[in-house]
Amino acid sequence: MKLSLSSGPHLHAKENTQRAMLDVLIALLPATAAGLYFFGWKAAMVVAVSVVSCVFFEALWCALGHKRSTVSDLSAAVTGLLLGLNLPATAPWWMPVIGGLFAIIVIKQLFGGIGSNFLNPALAARAALLSSWPAHMTTFMLPQRTLLVHTAEVADAATAATPLATGGASYIDLFLGNVPGCIGEVCKAALLIGFLYLLIRRVIGWQIPVIFVATAAALSWALGDDPLQTVLTGGLLLGAIFMATDYATSPMLFVGECIYAFGCGVIVVVIRKFGNYPEGCSYAILLMNIVTPLIDKYCKRRVYGEVKKNA
Amino acid sequence: MKKFTFKGGIHPLHDRHEGKAATSGKPVRPFVSDTVCIPMDMHLGAPSKPCVKKGEHVLLGQVIGEPVGGLGLPVHASVSGTVLEVRRKQNLSAGLSECVIIQNDFNDEWTELHGMGNVETAPAEKIIDAIRDAGICGMGGACFPTFAKLRIPQGQTVDTILVNGSECETFLTADHRLMLESPLRIVDGLRAAMRATGVKHGVICIEDNKMDAVETMRKAAHGREGVEVAVLRTKYPQGGEKQLIKAVTGREVPSGGLPMHAHVVVLNVGTCAAIADAIIDGKPLISRITTVTGCVREPANLLLRIGTVFLDAIGECGGYSEEPGKIFVGGSMCGVCAPDDTVAMGKGQNGIVVLNQKEATPPPETQCIRCGRCVQACAIGLNPYRLMNLCQTGDLATAEKEHVLDCILCGSCSYVCPARRWMTASFKNAKELIMAARRAKK
Repeated sequence: MKLSLSSGPHLHAKENTQRAMLDVLIALLPATAAGLYFFGWKAAMVVAVSVVSCVFFEALWCALGHKRSTVSDLSAAVTGLLLGLNLPATAPWWMPVIGGLFAIIVIKQLFGGIGSNFLNPALAARAALLSSWPAHMTTFMLPQRTLLVHTAEVADAATAATPLATGGASYIDLFLGNVPGCIGEVCKAALLIGFLYLLIRRVIGWQIPVIFVATAAALSWALGDDPLQTVLTGGLLLGAIFMATDYATSPMLFVGECIYAFGCGVIVVVIRKFGNYPEGCSYAILLMNIVTPLIDKYCKRRVYGEVKKNA
Repeated sequence: MKKFTFKGGIHPLHDRHEGKAATSGKPVRPFVSDTVCIPMDMHLGAPSKPCVKKGEHVLLGQVIGEPVGGLGLPVHASVSGTVLEVRRKQNLSAGLSECVIIQNDFNDEWTELHGMGNVETAPAEKIIDAIRDAGICGMGGACFPTFAKLRIPQGQTVDTILVNGSECETFLTADHRLMLESPLRIVDGLRAAMRATGVKHGVICIEDNKMDAVETMRKAAHGREGVEVAVLRTKYPQGGEKQLIKAVTGREVPSGGLPMHAHVVVLNVGTCAAIADAIIDGKPLISRITTVTGCVREPANLLLRIGTVFLDAIGECGGYSEEPGKIFVGGSMCGVCAPDDTVAMGKGQNGIVVLNQKEATPPPETQCIRCGRCVQACAIGLNPYRLMNLCQTGDLATAEKEHVLDCILCGSCSYVCPARRWMTASFKNAKELIMAARRAKK
C-alpha cells in the first residue's frame, strides 16, 4: 500500500483561482451582452480581439519562459474581457492587440504574473491607449438600438461624446445604457446584475464598490453636482465593481479596503470636476492601486495574545 | 441564547456536513482486537520505560511502562494476556518508538484497582496523583500530561476550567458521542479537576451543531457546584485552546504563554471522562472512543483499546471501501498522516480517517492571487500570504517579527486558499527551525 504523507489541511475549499476568475467572467456576461446589443458587431470584434490577444500573450510568455501555462486559470481572459469592455466600439482592431500586449506582458508578467502586478492590467492598458491615441479612445458610437425606453432625442451623428462631457441624458437612459460610451460601461443595470452575482458567489465583498460609489456621490453632491448623474455616467460602476476590486491591487483587510475605496471616490470626483478630462475613474483606481501596498502595511489586524503577561 | 465565538475562522467541508454525518448518529461500539501494540511515547514528554518482558503474563490495567522524567506518564496494559514482544516500531511519531505487543486472552482480568468512589468526597490532594498514575494525557490530540496541567505553579492563579466539547475538526464525532452517552462521567471528571485545583468555575463548551449534546450535558450538569454549559457558534478552529478561551472568557493567552497565564485550564471532554474513571473506579486510561470514517465500508465510533492497530480498527468497520490514498488521525484540518495501516492507536487519537486516491492527491500549487482569504480566515490575526513569502525566501528573522510563532497551525489559511498554497506546512517548518535555532543558542 502506498499512502501519501503531508501536513494538514488534507482537504481544501472547492473554490480555486480558476473558479474565481470564471465567476468574474460570468458576472461580466450581462454587461458584455448589453454592449453587443447596443453597439453591434463592431463591439463584438473589439471584445473578441481583446480577449484573444490577452490569452495569446499569456500563452506566449509562458511558452517563451518554459513555464507551466497559466492560461487555464482564466485570469488573462478576465483581463482581456475587461480591456475590451473599456474600449469604445469604434476602436480599430490593433488597439486591443496593443492593449493586450501592454496589459499582459508589461503590467502583469514583467512584475511576476498573477497576483504580483501593482496596477490593474486592463486599466493600465486603457490608460496607456488613452494617452497614446486620445482621439480613438474618446470617440464613442451612439447605440445602434435602444433598450425599452429612450427619452432623449436621437442625434443623427454616428458618433458622439459621452454624456459625461455633454451632460443631459435622462437617468433612465443612463441606467439602461441608451447612451454613447465604452462597450461595457453603458448598461448600469447589467453591471449591477454582475455585482449581485459576485456578492452571492462571495468572490468580492460589498465594501469597495459601495464605499467607492457612495463617496463619489456624496462628494459631488457637496460640490454642487447631481450625485445620481455622477454615479450613472461614465465608467464609474464598471470601475467600482470590476476594476477596483481586483485582488492583486486592492488592500487585504476591511479597514484598508474602506480607505482605498474612499480614496478612489474622492479622486474620481476631483478629476471629473477640476481636471480637464471628463472621465477620471481609471486614473482614480490606478492611483489608489499604487497606494495599496502602503495601506496594507499600516492596516493590520491585531495579533492574538499581544497583551501584557498576566494582564 | 447567548452564543460565544471568536474573530476569523472558517467553515470547512460545510457542504458535506463537516464530514460528520456518517458517524454522528452511531452509538459507540466497543471493539477489542487479538493483539495490541502499545507505544511508550503516547504522551508529550519523555517516553516511558517498558517494565515487562517477552512471555510475561499481564493483567488489564497493569503498568507495563514506567514514567521517565518530570512529564513522564505510566503506560498500562489495555488487555490481559501475554507479552509477545517488546520492540521498536514505526508509529505515528517521527522515528521508531518502543512498543509492547500483547496477545489478548480475552479474559479482561483487571489488576487490583483503588477507586475513590465519589469525586465529591475523594480527598482533593490525592486527585492529581491519581490522574498521573492513571496515565491520562490530553485526549483531544495534544497528549500533554493532564496532571502537569492541573498542577498550577506557585504564583499563578486559575479561576476557570474549560471543558472542550466543541469538536470543531472535520469528520470527528467521538466527543459528540461521548457527551451523548456518558455525560455524567464528563461532569464528574470536571468536578474532580475543579476540586483538585481549587477552581470554583467550570464551563463545558459545545458548538451549536451539537444541540443534542448541549441538552444532555445541561441535564447532567444540573445541580453540580460551579458547572455550566456554554454554547459556541460552529466555526473552525473554535476548539483551539486560544480561540476557546477568547470566546468564552474574553481573555487572551499572552503570546508565547500558556492558558494558565489567562487564568484558565482547558481539558478535553474525553480527558474529563478518563479522569472520572480514574478517580471513581481507579481505572487507568486503557481505551478511548475513536471515529473511524472516510473510505471505510461502515464508518463507526469505536471504543478502542489503546494500542489497537489501525488495520484491525478499519477491519472492524468493514475494511476499505476504495483503494486508500491517505490515512490520518484527527480531522482533515490538522490530522497527522499515518505512514501505513500497521501503526497503533495512542491516547490522543480521536479519529482515523481514510481518504481515497483522488482525495489524497494534493491539488497543484499556483501563484498567490492576493485575494486576502487567508488573512480573513486566520484566527490569530496573522498575514499568512506575507508570512509564506518570508518563510519561502528563508527570511525567518522577519517571519518571527511578524509573529509566525503565534501560528497555531490550524490550517484555515491553506484550506481557503484558491491557489492551494502550502502555507500551514511552511509555517510548521519555520516554527520548528526557529525553535531549533533557539535551543541551539541555549
